[in-house]
Amino acid sequence: MTFVLRMVGREARASWRRLLFFFLCVAVGVGAIVALRSVIQSVRGALVAEARTLTAADVVVSTNRPWDPQARARIDQRLREAGAVGVAETIETATMARPADERKAVARTVELQGVEAGYPYYGRVELEGGVPYTHDLLKGQGALVRPELLAQLDLRVGDGIVLGDLVFTIRGVVLSEPGRRLGFFSFGPRVLVDFADMARTGLLQFGSRARYALLVKVPDARIDPLVQALRDDFRQQFINAHSYRGAEDRMNDDLARAENYLSLVGFIIVILGGIGVWSVTRVFVRQKLRAIAVMKCLGASTAQVLAVYLAQVVALAALGSLLGLGVAVLALAALPAGLLSGFGAVTPGLTWSASLQGVAVGVLVSLLFSLVPLLEIRHARPLLLLRDEAARQSSVTQPDGRWWRRIDWVQVAAALLVSVALVGVASWQAASWRAGALVCAAFVAVALVLHLVGALLVRVVAPLRMTGWFPLRHAVISVSRPGNQTRTILLAVGLGAFFIIGVRSLQANLLHAFRIDLRRDGPDLFLVDIQPDQEAGVRQFLARAHPSFPAKLLPVLRARVTGVRGRTLNLDGFDEVRGQGSLAREYVVTYRDHLEANERLVAGAFWDSPSPTPEVSIEKGISQRFGIGVGDTMRFDVLGRAVEARVASVRQVEWADARSGGFMFVFRPGVFDAAPKTFIAAARGPDSPADRARLQRDLVAAFPNVSAIDVREVARTVEGVAGNVTLAVSIVGLIALFAGVLILMGSVAMTKFQRLHESAVFKTLGASTRTLTAMLAIEYGALGSLAGTVGAVTSLGLSWGLCRYVLDVPWSPTPGVAAAGLVMTALLVGVIGVAASVDVLRRRPLAILRAE
Amino acid sequence: MIELHGVSKTVSSGGRPLTILHPIDLRIPDGQSLAIVGPSGSGKSTLLGLMAGLDAPTSGRIVIDGIEITSLGEDALARLRGAKIGFVFQFFHLIASLTAYENVLVPMELAGVRHPGPRAKTLLDEVGLADRGHHYPSQLSGGEQQRVALARALANDPRLLLADEPTGNLDSQNGQHVIELLFDVNRRRATTLVLVTHDRDLAAMADAQVRLRDGHVVERREAVATAPAPV
Repeated sequence: MTFVLRMVGREARASWRRLLFFFLCVAVGVGAIVALRSVIQSVRGALVAEARTLTAADVVVSTNRPWDPQARARIDQRLREAGAVGVAETIETATMARPADERKAVARTVELQGVEAGYPYYGRVELEGGVPYTHDLLKGQGALVRPELLAQLDLRVGDGIVLGDLVFTIRGVVLSEPGRRLGFFSFGPRVLVDFADMARTGLLQFGSRARYALLVKVPDARIDPLVQALRDDFRQQFINAHSYRGAEDRMNDDLARAENYLSLVGFIIVILGGIGVWSVTRVFVRQKLRAIAVMKCLGASTAQVLAVYLAQVVALAALGSLLGLGVAVLALAALPAGLLSGFGAVTPGLTWSASLQGVAVGVLVSLLFSLVPLLEIRHARPLLLLRDEAARQSSVTQPDGRWWRRIDWVQVAAALLVSVALVGVASWQAASWRAGALVCAAFVAVALVLHLVGALLVRVVAPLRMTGWFPLRHAVISVSRPGNQTRTILLAVGLGAFFIIGVRSLQANLLHAFRIDLRRDGPDLFLVDIQPDQEAGVRQFLARAHPSFPAKLLPVLRARVTGVRGRTLNLDGFDEVRGQGSLAREYVVTYRDHLEANERLVAGAFWDSPSPTPEVSIEKGISQRFGIGVGDTMRFDVLGRAVEARVASVRQVEWADARSGGFMFVFRPGVFDAAPKTFIAAARGPDSPADRARLQRDLVAAFPNVSAIDVREVARTVEGVAGNVTLAVSIVGLIALFAGVLILMGSVAMTKFQRLHESAVFKTLGASTRTLTAMLAIEYGALGSLAGTVGAVTSLGLSWGLCRYVLDVPWSPTPGVAAAGLVMTALLVGVIGVAASVDVLRRRPLAILRAE
Repeated sequence: MIELHGVSKTVSSGGRPLTILHPIDLRIPDGQSLAIVGPSGSGKSTLLGLMAGLDAPTSGRIVIDGIEITSLGEDALARLRGAKIGFVFQFFHLIASLTAYENVLVPMELAGVRHPGPRAKTLLDEVGLADRGHHYPSQLSGGEQQRVALARALANDPRLLLADEPTGNLDSQNGQHVIELLFDVNRRRATTLVLVTHDRDLAAMADAQVRLRDGHVVERREAVATAPAPV
């Protein structure tokens, strides 16, 4: 043991420069994983700390439809049983607000919330001027509004504001309220009114979009049983119950997605670091074979030698991981201040759990990736010291050796063990077996492809050995020589390119999902909640407002999927649909007899006439994500009515072109013609802000229940949110890119050690620096191109798999990213290969030959 | 005592078996010095490597001090080498990352010797390198490296010293110095010395000589027991 420790010290003293890169790989990987994880945990921590104030209650029971009396009675009974201390009812809806003063020609979409006396059970409504919040402020048509609404509508406290059919008096200015976080998407500023007044505004008509909620205060011990009982009761209905503990429920989707993404990227960076570790260890062991043989010759056992190098790896990995913590601290300090403002008061710092995990992952991944190359030590036979060739022959091949005897089964077993362990670490890091297995399967698949491509390359270029051009001939010989770096570079660079381009492609897809396109010629004003009897009136109103842009009114119904009977997917009841994630949400559906300009048929046939038999056309993303195809049957709940429709076609919707809106489900006319429904209108408003404000005011005055969604306003808000997301995704992508490129540079640079001797001999024999440079450029360039091609092509598969199976966002190919990745990889490897060998080219050959 | 019974070595070359050493019998008594001579490719180094357990024979048995080494595993062989055999190579093979002093320490540390420092210093002193202990191999001349290698080979006071062309890479003056050291050890400590060499003068200094050609023993001289050893 003392021998092992002493040797570790001596070896480290001598080889630290060569292993510096090993150290850096680990540090970068660990730094990335710790920083990303700390951010997530800080955000989580902040959200959990204020979870109760986010929900403003212990338990929230909510629905998007007016309470069904029967269901309501059942809920009340459950609340009584649970000993509920307080229940406050609230309703939220987006609507238009305008000043009571007719001279002010403005109107704004607001998020109106009617609350009962108990609200809020937790947290505080903070009012301007330190005025304490009481429900009395709302009673008798009082309203509390956000400061920005006062500015937008040119109002003051004490003025009148029209909401639906009622005029409210502004009694205070809300600075903050429970459950409302900055930076999250909303249709407009909050307006708080009394629940009792809300019902009289006339805004809650049939089909209006509103959220009805019961805020419940209940003894702590009863929370979970109550939530469970309610969930059991309403399993098949569209009523949700969640506790403040499950406050994450609402933001869980966003956060889980962010966390999955960040953890995955973090893990991918660690894998890239691992590839670097593998590459360094492999070269290092090769360089050390002679020293190892000497040690064995002097009486060291294989286990002792293996222990010396394993201990070095562990020590370096541990030190690298500690440095990684430093990197993470710097990264967190460099985080743009505004990035996390949406999550409240979050000050990201290193968390213990993230740090421990980071160090553990760093050491584990280093061990795993260095294990297989370290096992080469077993083959270092002392005979090597007498003659190189004899040692190789007698250790690798037997005179009667069959191929299976030539396979090093220990190494194969180790490789398998490492793979299994990696799946474990990946799953742990991504908190999902699926993501972990996916990343690792992709890793193995790409490694295999690269291995095959490497073998193929050697065969394909073999005829070029006959070429007359010295650099090319020797580049080819070098590529096909046994024991060279072809496979190492292909594997390290190919896998690196695969992951880096994959992350970039993933980033492009995520950003695409957040992109908004405003076309100059498209509609920029959507009117919603138009009642059937208002259809003609609204049409006329819009025609007067903008004669050259005929408004389009579409009938819409709100529907939920309650079952699927298909070839690949079978879901019986809403409860099972819930298990499919976003399929369970409420969809706005329409019916028509034609495809819109932004739609294209992908499968099946689109009808051109009404039919009493229900048929539906589904969007391509839905079809792909959930495996629903033409001929399958879907069951919907359309405002309480069960409809079973055959899937007749699959459409691709160009979402970026929102001229005609986009619908996931379009029904065949004939079934819903007589059903209760509302209309939405896509119109184009005037360009000047004053005219737009006037138009919206006139519209609300004529149709108080109709809400106008000003796409220009929304786009600004969404851009704000999307801007943060874009920044976050880009920063993470940049970290991955930086780490990946650094690691690749090192992996390639490491291979130069194998060339030292050869270059020296060539120089001795009269090769000029130019010839050697050309040789290197050809060899590294070819390897880089090949690795880049494999990486780029396979990375599309990675981003597709992650988008579809892990992040649940639509995927589209990113040929630009792939092409850029390919070119960059080839250039990078070529340039680094040559640049890293500059000292090899410059040094006098004798020094190298003597050292050998 | 080293005994070789019908020891041969065949390797695969280009997919065909190639016999480098045909069955050979040899007995080297304790304290004797033996020179193995012959042209390049005659199997000298292979024979030496087999005696040191650096490689396994295709057939036959090798017995060192009553231990049949042909039946030992890699690690047992390593232990045996550490305890009983010192090896000097033509290309010195010092560990580049260790100083001269540390190179001499390694075999003793591996053998679990307590406080090996003083002995390492003594050995370096004996080979005339007392003041070069802190130098790395790359900072030493060829002759100095070979003397460090010799000090290292003697570290555990081996019963058997094997040297593969120990002067092959040295000038005559350095070569002479190393030869004197080797035979001095052989005489003073009664260490059995087996050396492979091209150098006739060097071979002539040995108690006995074996000449190889194409893997066959073609000549044996003096005091070498050529008959198979009694088992």
